[in-house]
Amino acid sequence: MAELNYQEEGRKVLTAFYSTLNALKLYPVENDTVQQAIDELHGLVTHVIEVDGGAELRVVGDFFFLNETRLRLDLSNFATFGSFARALQDHGIGSVEIFPGIVRSEWAPFVSILLLKPLGDEPFSGFMDRVGATPVEHIDFRPEKEVSEPERDEEALTAAKRTYSKSVSVAKDALGDVRIGKAVNVRKVKRAVQGIVDQVLSNESSMVTMTTLRDFDDYTFTHCVNVCIFSVIIGQRLGFDKLQLYELGLGALFHDVGKQRVDYDIINKPGGLTSEEWTVLKEHTTEGLLCLFTMHGFADVPYRQMLMAYEHHMKTDLTGYPVNKRTREPTLFSRIVSTADSFDAGTSVRSYQFNPWPPDQVLREMRDNPKRGCDPLLVKALITATGVYPVGTLCILDTHELAVVAKVNPDSELAHRPVVKVISDPMGVPLGDPLTLDLSRDDPSTGRPVRTIIKTTEPQKYGIRVSDYLI
Amino acid sequence: MTDELKTSGASSSGEEWEASDVPLEQVTELFVVLGKAFRAYQLYEENNPVRHRFVESLRQALQGLWKEVDKLVLQVEEDRILLSGSEIYASPNRAESLAFLFFKDGVRQMIFLPGLEDEELDKFLGVLQRARKLLPEGDDLLTVLWEADLHFFQYQYVDFLAEGVALPEAGPGNDQSDFQNVLDGEAAEEEDDDATEAEAGEAGEANEDAPKTASKDDFNPTLYSLDPKEKKTLREELEKELKRDLRGDVLAALFDRLEEPENPARQSEIIGVLGTLLPNFLSRGALVGATQILEELRRMESMPGVFGETQLAESGALLDEVSAAEAVHELIQALYDGSIRASPAQLGGFLRFLRSGALAPLLRSSETVDHKELQAVLREAVKGIAERNRSAVVRLLDEEDAVIASGAARLAGEMQIAEAGPSLAGLLAHPAAEVRLAAVEAAITLKASTAAGALQHTLEDPEREVRIAAARAMGVLKYRPAAARFAQIVGGKDIRTADISEKVAFFEAYGLLAEDEAVETLDKLLNGKGFLGKREPSEIRAAAALALGKVPGAGARAALQKGVQAEDPIVRSAVNRALREED
Repeated sequence: MAELNYQEEGRKVLTAFYSTLNALKLYPVENDTVQQAIDELHGLVTHVIEVDGGAELRVVGDFFFLNETRLRLDLSNFATFGSFARALQDHGIGSVEIFPGIVRSEWAPFVSILLLKPLGDEPFSGFMDRVGATPVEHIDFRPEKEVSEPERDEEALTAAKRTYSKSVSVAKDALGDVRIGKAVNVRKVKRAVQGIVDQVLSNESSMVTMTTLRDFDDYTFTHCVNVCIFSVIIGQRLGFDKLQLYELGLGALFHDVGKQRVDYDIINKPGGLTSEEWTVLKEHTTEGLLCLFTMHGFADVPYRQMLMAYEHHMKTDLTGYPVNKRTREPTLFSRIVSTADSFDAGTSVRSYQFNPWPPDQVLREMRDNPKRGCDPLLVKALITATGVYPVGTLCILDTHELAVVAKVNPDSELAHRPVVKVISDPMGVPLGDPLTLDLSRDDPSTGRPVRTIIKTTEPQKYGIRVSDYLI
Repeated sequence: MTDELKTSGASSSGEEWEASDVPLEQVTELFVVLGKAFRAYQLYEENNPVRHRFVESLRQALQGLWKEVDKLVLQVEEDRILLSGSEIYASPNRAESLAFLFFKDGVRQMIFLPGLEDEELDKFLGVLQRARKLLPEGDDLLTVLWEADLHFFQYQYVDFLAEGVALPEAGPGNDQSDFQNVLDGEAAEEEDDDATEAEAGEAGEANEDAPKTASKDDFNPTLYSLDPKEKKTLREELEKELKRDLRGDVLAALFDRLEEPENPARQSEIIGVLGTLLPNFLSRGALVGATQILEELRRMESMPGVFGETQLAESGALLDEVSAAEAVHELIQALYDGSIRASPAQLGGFLRFLRSGALAPLLRSSETVDHKELQAVLREAVKGIAERNRSAVVRLLDEEDAVIASGAARLAGEMQIAEAGPSLAGLLAHPAAEVRLAAVEAAITLKASTAAGALQHTLEDPEREVRIAAARAMGVLKYRPAAARFAQIVGGKDIRTADISEKVAFFEAYGLLAEDEAVETLDKLLNGKGFLGKREPSEIRAAAALALGKVPGAGARAALQKGVQAEDPIVRSAVNRALREED
């Protein structure tokens, strides 16, 4: 039995849809260009059906899925993906499922209806009415709000746990080796980053969940891995391809490597640092740059990664540190790492930060306080990935129930309405079996959201570890 | 396909097939064909028909295999590859072995899928080729495979990362009987916040900074989602970034920190880093970056208080190292073979920072290179270094290498290095004619009286060019003690067998040195008749005429006037030229 190359086939199918849409926009259905586009589309989809028994295209947030495989967005296809996604979303369509038996003549009516102006407040109903009047029999549609990422959560979470644990272990080894002056096994680090990139590409939310595992004792290492994960996620939102994500992830994992050259007592000093100690600590960026020069195992001099280590504490106005004497424009990669670093550091318990802010507050601060010097577009990109209430945020619902954010709503318009796990009743009594609620769903009886977040709070107040509810 | 990466300590066998179904022979043959295709891939260029033929054979072999099986699962051992426990490929030669190529980086199972031959065969062979060329300190096969992202070729490898790693497990959730007290307190705060917000709202100011309370901004997508224009901006930034040469940014960082004298140990480390970057830049033709390094080092060396003694010595050593003969040879070679492409300005910019050590090799190259533009740049650079190191030029006159010694001699002349005089005199006895010639020419340019005495011996040099140059030199230098020697030469027999140029050089020098005392002899040679009324040969008469042209005064002019009507056109022409010169 042949297997499908989903990425390749998926790209081709989307391109064929896009071509058919454009052809029908310009020419009548009898036109050769239209007919050729339909031939191509029909052939490709039929092939997928032959191999997989059916073909489902799902659009969730910024992503397309072909039969459960998320298609990678890159610079060569983002316009095609975006146009076709908008065409579907304008009609409120979340998925298009094509069944065996599809005939060529069904495509033109379907695609032509996509080109019509959506009807009224309920565009999906209008679309279905229009389709009902055509001979389209082997294509089924589901509304946008009913569609979510393919559910493979348990399997994905296990894979994410494995990837995350291996990565922390590798980070521990690598950074430990730097501290004692031993050669770092860069191949292992590469393998760990490849695993993170794979995992983010196949199931981003499972990896985000793992970042809630903030172990105080292992902060240095989990922080590096978390920054790597958040950087790759931001890069993914920006359309980085797989190799670019790898470059980014590699630099992100090593972004704090210079700290291994700083006195251990300063790194782990509880409470505040003296100004002299701060001065020493700030040297870690330069030390990181130099440290990467000593590492062997890169195919080339890792200039990009060096800059990520060097520039990740520079603010958008070039204040921060280290101080520049020559002209400098921090790289996009460095600014991504800086954004990921600010978020993870702000939300983590550290030696001098026992009560970190709730994640949503950190994001808000990064977004709204110019003194933080975060790149506003990259913060937005991070929020599109984490949602307004990132996974692991402890919140109080309008019912006064306590809940932990478990999953981000992939629809960026609903980023403030995540999936939560309710962990206590309104009286504060813990639930033995937390209740999963999708806050983007409305209660059918009232037509209003099932619950609303009214406030976020700190897990420390309640003596809980949010990750206990998530992994 | 990277999604298929799995932990695999113990490999499974090709479990799908019954023993009788295993197409052993076909797979064995497939690996023979694969080996040949891989070799062809390595040996021939992309468009070579031989390569195409072998790749096509492999494609057909795979197509044939898919008629028998729907995938091919193989186990990889150190020196062989197995199908269902049976060996289908073996090679004891590790350098050539496909099995070892995969095994050494941890691959233990390979799965070939239908489609490889249509979609990814070139990519797959490209991976093998890249894997074969990997350096031990660079990427490994697993990274190459991961980057290639093959879908129709999957693999399992020994996952060393997974060893001893425990997976995190969910904890109990909480250890408090209930959250009521805390929650009540927070709820009360919430009510206060509501009241505050309501009051603020009435006053026309939304209290958006209320801590931890859901904000109106949370419901405003424009604040947290990227609009198409913003996405476009970021994509354009990425495109720009990918084209950006990051070396300059890294250098700027290093220079910024190198300027900080408060951390001398780090300054030393940075100088060491710059020392590793220099050859790296040069090997890639990044002359501008390399120049920047030299320029900054020299600048910082001259800035008071930036470098301590140690750093000055380290920086100096680096500049000396890049100016060493071997380094300059490499540079010239790279310029010559095109691996460094630089404008004359860029090259000149780099060369001007080189130190005296570079003088000899640069000089040699500037003398021998047959690329005019490059030669001009090298000569300019040589002059620049020589200007800063005049004593180095004098030292080069003692070089055994004739090309360098002769170049140095000319340079000393051009630069008017008076101290070079004695050395130049020594070079007149150099075994290489080119050196003797250069020394003579330099003596003229330098007007080196110290060399003039030695020049007399050179008048009998075995090389014609040297003799001519020496004669001219003595004339130019007006070394009168040599007049008698010239009188002997012009009156002797040997000069008669010399060619016209040599005759003229010697006669003219005689005229210049002997002046009026030469007129009689020259007049006789030009106008006189011998026994039986026979005149001197044309060339001797012409040379005598030209020599008279060098003598000021009426006597010489009168002698020339007598020859104006000479029947011999060569003589007549020489006389007229000499008269014009006299005028």
